[in-house]
Amino acid sequence: MRHTLLAIVTLILLAASSARAADTRYYQLQKGDYPHDVAVAPDGTAWFSGQRLGIAGKVDPATGNVTRIPLGKNSAPHGVIIGPDGAPWFTDGGQNAIVRVDPKTSTVKVWPLPPERSPFVNLNTAVFDPKGRVWFTGQNGVYGRLDPASGDMKVWDAPRGRGAYGITATPEGEIWFVSLANSYLANIDPESGAATVYEPPTKAQGARRVWSDSTGRLWISEWNAGQVGMYDPATKTWKEWKLPGERPQAYAVWVDPDDKVWLSDWGANSIVRFDPATEKFDSFASDKANAEVRQMLGRKGEAWAAESGTDRLRLIRYAPATQ
Amino acid sequence: MLKGTSARIAAIGFALLSVGGGAIAEDGDAARGERVFQYCFSCHSVDPNERTPLEGPSLYHILGRPTASLPSFNYSDAMKKRGAGGLKWDAPTLNAYIADPQAIVPGTRMSAAPLRDDQARADLIAYLAKSGPYRP
Repeated sequence: MRHTLLAIVTLILLAASSARAADTRYYQLQKGDYPHDVAVAPDGTAWFSGQRLGIAGKVDPATGNVTRIPLGKNSAPHGVIIGPDGAPWFTDGGQNAIVRVDPKTSTVKVWPLPPERSPFVNLNTAVFDPKGRVWFTGQNGVYGRLDPASGDMKVWDAPRGRGAYGITATPEGEIWFVSLANSYLANIDPESGAATVYEPPTKAQGARRVWSDSTGRLWISEWNAGQVGMYDPATKTWKEWKLPGERPQAYAVWVDPDDKVWLSDWGANSIVRFDPATEKFDSFASDKANAEVRQMLGRKGEAWAAESGTDRLRLIRYAPATQ
Repeated sequence: MLKGTSARIAAIGFALLSVGGGAIAEDGDAARGERVFQYCFSCHSVDPNERTPLEGPSLYHILGRPTASLPSFNYSDAMKKRGAGGLKWDAPTLNAYIADPQAIVPGTRMSAAPLRDDQARADLIAYLAKSGPYRP
């Protein structure tokens, strides 16, 4: 009887394991592509920021074919997002500029930061607000706003100086960012640009990236603490959870359309998915060491991760809660 | 920190060198290098009293320091491996690393883009040299 039970449990575990493996597809890029961030467009095309080579990478998810588009002299793109126009938009540290690539013509348009913010603010991440304006962070201690329609750009000093890192917009259009070096969450007034700081419960937790769920709750990857934090602006309450494993380091965070929270954990070399309802984590380890996933984005049924350490993109197909 | 008069790399004994594809210009200017340090600023400090937990290790007294040797910093496996192999941050190595971090220490966690401008790197190294050489 005991042996039968053991066999059944083993079969179930094997089935679960193989199902997970089947859900993952890796896209091997060329050596040195160094995909820092990745974003998936509405048509399924994956775009990555090739920071080391100064390129936009365009990946056909069906064939794995890669098109590399040079972004300009000294380009070194850190982040990529998909705008409301379906185009990839880059935070390009090397050019100290916001950059758009036309997905059809590959035409590159560059909006440099103002001269007083040159040569380098270490541009990090961007997000769109409902008015079509691009909000961005610079890790040297700035955040800013670009109106692509008019070209108007404003840049503000971040509270306490360096560290401004991840940024997100809530469904209501509120803009929030986090500071890695100074371990805070901040809300930006979208018109005045003033930032208000919110302190997570854990001191010096290293708030690296932030993403909003469908209700406007902010989910934060806490790098130093190895935790995922949550701030609910509606109730003004915080909660934090430690990631599994001995020495977790939470880097990327993205909340899927079903409000499950995806993170990358450098300590375990894994992607984890956190279910706020059950407060449980699922782990999806990389099949290569030192994957170093710095950012995740996705869409319903697809979680994309950029493995900067292995020159790969990783696609995890998951079953959405609702079809 | 490290503000003031410019220093020439020649004064600390650098010649025109080439390591790993990155040439060191003969005359680095520390004053210009302080501006170049903006490329490093978000993750590194040259202030010995810095208390902010930064992503990168302190660059105070960096020149000549053995790689991955600050006990308080959590280095990547790649950097530890190079340190165990005897790599030191002398000027040519530092120059080559800044020119292309992944080429010199494959797997380094430092995600800074290559700084390809020879003069900018020379200026930066001159600036870093102002805190003095490594002291065990």
